[in-house]
Amino acid sequence: MDGPVTFTRILVVAWAYTVLMLPRAHAQSAPEYEVKAAFLLNFTKFVEWPTGSFPAADSPLTICIVGKDPFLKFLDDMVADESVNGHRLTVRRLSADAATQGCRVLFAGVGELDVARILGSAGRGVLTVGEGDRFMRAGGMITFVIQNQRVRFDVNLSAAQAAGLRLSARLLTVARSVVK
Amino acid sequence: MFSLRNTPIRRKVTIITMMTTLAALVMAGAGILLVDSLLFRRSLQRDLTALARIIADGSTAALAFNDPDTAAQTLASLRWRTHVQSACTYRLNGSVLAAYQAPGALRCPPPDTAPGIHFSGQNLIVSEPITVGGSRMGTLTMLCDTEQTTERLRLYGATVFCVLLAASLVALLLAWYLRALIVKPISRLVDTTRSVAESGDYSIRARKVTHDELGTLVDRFNEMLAGIQSRDNELKKALGEREIALCEADNERERFRFMAESMPQKIFAAGPGGESVYLNKQWMEFTGLPLEQIKGWGWSQFIHPSDLEESMRVWKHAIATGDPLQMMSRFRRADGVYRWHLNRARAMRNAAGEITLWIGSSTDIHEQKEREEELRRANEDLQQFAYSASHDLQEPIRNVAIYSEIVVRRYRDLLDEEGRQYLEFMREGGRRLARLVADLLAYTRASTVDPVPAPVPASAALESSIADLAEAIREAHATLTYDRLPEVYMSEAHLRQIFQNLVGNALKYRNEEAPRIHVSATERGDLWCFSVQDNGIGIDPQYKEKIFGLFKRLDHDPKLGGTGIGLAICQRLVERYGGRIWVESESGKGATFFFTVQQRPEWGRAGKFQSAGSGG
Repeated sequence: MDGPVTFTRILVVAWAYTVLMLPRAHAQSAPEYEVKAAFLLNFTKFVEWPTGSFPAADSPLTICIVGKDPFLKFLDDMVADESVNGHRLTVRRLSADAATQGCRVLFAGVGELDVARILGSAGRGVLTVGEGDRFMRAGGMITFVIQNQRVRFDVNLSAAQAAGLRLSARLLTVARSVVK
Repeated sequence: MFSLRNTPIRRKVTIITMMTTLAALVMAGAGILLVDSLLFRRSLQRDLTALARIIADGSTAALAFNDPDTAAQTLASLRWRTHVQSACTYRLNGSVLAAYQAPGALRCPPPDTAPGIHFSGQNLIVSEPITVGGSRMGTLTMLCDTEQTTERLRLYGATVFCVLLAASLVALLLAWYLRALIVKPISRLVDTTRSVAESGDYSIRARKVTHDELGTLVDRFNEMLAGIQSRDNELKKALGEREIALCEADNERERFRFMAESMPQKIFAAGPGGESVYLNKQWMEFTGLPLEQIKGWGWSQFIHPSDLEESMRVWKHAIATGDPLQMMSRFRRADGVYRWHLNRARAMRNAAGEITLWIGSSTDIHEQKEREEELRRANEDLQQFAYSASHDLQEPIRNVAIYSEIVVRRYRDLLDEEGRQYLEFMREGGRRLARLVADLLAYTRASTVDPVPAPVPASAALESSIADLAEAIREAHATLTYDRLPEVYMSEAHLRQIFQNLVGNALKYRNEEAPRIHVSATERGDLWCFSVQDNGIGIDPQYKEKIFGLFKRLDHDPKLGGTGIGLAICQRLVERYGGRIWVESESGKGATFFFTVQQRPEWGRAGKFQSAGSGG
């Protein structure tokens, strides 16, 4: 009876191993970023933006990628025809020093060094997502981490609250750690 | 159900109460069970749907961020829901993210199960899509057992059964009470009817204890009893009266019997058919036969054989018509001697006019009959004697008359005045004697008449008598007229004799005026009534009857030359033909003689015809 479930678990574990091990094995870390792209997309579903963040009920929800884009085509593929609460998802790529007007989600890759400046430009009503301890320490709201070869994330709840964002409790339950 | 019909009401009440209660309870129990199981199923469905949604909501993040541990934790909370057997969270591609399975339970349903909640055998399958922000993340499926429902049903069933038992007990107690309420008055009424029926005492009354329909029934029953009581009393009274009446009738019958038995006559009673039903003891004494033998039509045994046929005919005729019966017949006495009896009978009729009884008597008239016979024979002898005497006298008288005539003619000159006068007396006497003898002869001849086969015209008889009297009519200067006269059943000679006497009298007894005589005839019922009217001296009414007697004359004038026989002859002839003769007159005012003749005489009844003459 347990067989199939156990088998599924084994499959999941095998899959995770493959996904997490491959980036290290190969120069291209696409599978890791495919997962991260999916996560990035899913975050929008557990976040409530402050009122007035969208000019209209069907205004697009823009995910901005600052600097180097690690997602290759994954994010664009996922976002295509996707919408959250009536807002069509769009992806915009910005240079590191560009203005962040219109962005509702701001992603800064691990390669971006001037995290403080990027976070400072984010302002109110923007969900900041990044990678690495530096980003976390600089006050990023959600930071991707790798644990047990699985993509996970930490949440800085106070930073999100300071920006007027409300994160879903369900999001918090799956976070690795939550800083209040 | 058929046996229920004849069970006592007491048991019926119990059975009805119990059955009603049980039926109501069973229906209610079934209804409650049905509704409850329906409601419970629905609420179970709602519950499970809600549960599935909660779990699905709780699984969104785990699904979104590929966290099987969190998903498994979320599913693990289902263990408190014991009826949830297993549950699985599937990703969009159908792979399992997390699964939950109660110990020994079935695997959860596959991800492609149709969304919603449905029954699968004893289990409930729930499939709920997991969505977040309007986009599908995966699917949650659950498998639940319905043991709860069954358990609940069992509990309910047990409860209903217990309630049924308790209610039956209560119903039994209620029936006990109702029995007292309904059955007691009824059985009391039944007891009353029984005691009335057994004792026949209609003064017993049922006691009214309730004021419902049963009370009304008791009232009506009592009214009925009162009615029966009064009718019973009336009946008893009527019976008493009837008994008295019967006693009276008995007495009456006894009186009649005594009367009938003590009569010297023979009395009989006969039914409407003619059979005798009662005969008094005189019959037995006379005939010497026992009652059994002469009852009914037994009289035919002792009646004279030559009277039997005629008696039977007359008796049957009387029975058919109901007319009173009168006839004579001879009955044989015990010593074999036949004696004449006069039998009379009359019919008794009821209110509808039907004959119920004939009452009759037979009187022994043998002595009378014999005397009558003797008398008739003596009369006949006398008549024979008178006839032969007058007949034989005619010859010598004629001789006297003829020779006295010769003497007068030849030798009158030889006699002196005195001698001639004596001779004249002698001649006159001889003539009168001759007339007298002739009349007497006519009278004796008038004693018998023979049936006349065909009617004769009365006018012919009158005309021939007028011819005979032509001399006298001329002498008296009389006028004789007559109307048209009928034809009658009478011998012409007899009729002529009657007319001759009556017209002769009219001529004879005239006054100074010239006589006017008128003869006519009128119809009176079944008779012809002839009349001869004159304008003569008339007759004093006191002699109206007397003048028809033999040798009865009102005058003593020898010149009139009457013999006193004429009217006697007329009466005798008229009566022989069944008629009557009489006179209507006043002194000095003329007289009218009437006589009647039957239009259609019954020649068949010769006896009657003859017996009528015996009075003359």
